[in-house]
Amino acid sequence: MRRDELKVQSSMPRFIYALLAVFLVFMGPPVQASDLEEGASAFIHALEREAVESLTDPAKERPARVQAFRTLFEEKFAVEAIGKWTLGRNWRRATDDEQKEFLQLFEDLMVAMYVDRFQNYAGEKLNILKTSPVDENRATVHTEITRPEGVDAKPISVLWRVGRQGDIYKVLDVVVEGASMSITLQKEFASIIKNTGSVAGLLEELRKKTAQLNPS
Amino acid sequence: MRRQSCILMLFLCIFFSFGCATPPPQGDLEANKDFLAENDPAEPLNRAVFAFNQTIDKALFQPAARAYRDTVPLWVRQRIGAAIDNLRAPVIFVNDLLQGELDRALTTLVRFTINSTLGVAGLNDLAAEAGLEKHGEDFGQTLAVWGADAGPYMMLPILGPSNPRDTVGLVVDFLVDPFNAWAANTDREELTYARTGVAALHARAGLLDLTDDLEKNSIDLYAATRSLYRQTRGHAISNGNAAGPDVSSAPSDFPDMNDIADNRELSVKPR
Repeated sequence: MRRDELKVQSSMPRFIYALLAVFLVFMGPPVQASDLEEGASAFIHALEREAVESLTDPAKERPARVQAFRTLFEEKFAVEAIGKWTLGRNWRRATDDEQKEFLQLFEDLMVAMYVDRFQNYAGEKLNILKTSPVDENRATVHTEITRPEGVDAKPISVLWRVGRQGDIYKVLDVVVEGASMSITLQKEFASIIKNTGSVAGLLEELRKKTAQLNPS
Repeated sequence: MRRQSCILMLFLCIFFSFGCATPPPQGDLEANKDFLAENDPAEPLNRAVFAFNQTIDKALFQPAARAYRDTVPLWVRQRIGAAIDNLRAPVIFVNDLLQGELDRALTTLVRFTINSTLGVAGLNDLAAEAGLEKHGEDFGQTLAVWGADAGPYMMLPILGPSNPRDTVGLVVDFLVDPFNAWAANTDREELTYARTGVAALHARAGLLDLTDDLEKNSIDLYAATRSLYRQTRGHAISNGNAAGPDVSSAPSDFPDMNDIADNRELSVKPR
């Protein structure tokens, strides 16, 4: 058996080796993940640039900023996926109408919450430290943001969980100093559903909160 | 010192005898799973204590912290922060050692030496400027590294979110602190009170941005605080080295990638 293989190998025409060599040179590194890491890192870099552009224009009033941020948010965050995940098993318990309203309210809430958070840090320096793969389509981009002037000079650690599908990248989660946005929201939603007894109770609270955060 | 420990023990007794929530009905398996996973059997009592803490915080601590932040110049607050951190160094050093983190213990030791002398009684964090960044440690984290479970969530009066493990840690750290021991032995307990008061004020001021954000944005502040406490403790226990919370378990139930591109379907209504 072994001898046979050897024979085949030795009789292999030389040009096949040459072809193989050329192939390898043009293929680049065979690991697909590095592709994902570079893409995820470039995506976060672009997100930062766009956030700064859309949020630091002093001529814009808050409603205009909120609108600009909503557009950015829908484009860059996997809003529906995050929403479904934060509802967890209650997603299946919800009716079609409840699911629809939840996703809409969820987006409103996230936009209202994050417009000011991004605003506070837009213009601060965001350093991309490294990117590590989670699986073949997800990666974590490790960044740190310098704090606005304060007592503590230590930069804030922010991890971005980024998912890829085809060549579309989206943010799945933001982890600030070890605290995940998605996990915290999931726990809050679960607690409200437990205490009010239903998804309808959560929707009521979400309606109140988004109205309060977006005074019109 | 001893009296404080007694009060704490008394509270723990009351906590575990009265504070228990009713578990969900036996048939509801998923609800029971959630109840156990939340590990907050004393939730009704905890929520009451939380409401009490919030009241005190709004009436006393927050106004004091805001006044401190808005009137004391940044430069002075930085000195105060450095001095408080420096006084804590011995406790951090002991916990570094107990966790077998020799490099970090050495960092703490060198920092303490430099800052206490050249830094003038710890008022200047010269060591950080030389590249020896500060880090925190406490006995609750040490117990966690040794494998102790956190136990059920507890809301301590005034002190805030905790659990049995971290409460024990708090008491141990207080008792082994050489400054407190020295003050007690030389009949200068007022120094311990002064130090604790200044440290609390400084810490509360540092948390203002975070708590303002939470109070504004949370829908269930109690649940958000509970989750954030656990996540940030996990982060501290791993010394911030973890790739993030639940990185091993979360991806499996993380959003289905098929949903990512579906956002377009969720058409946005005009505003």
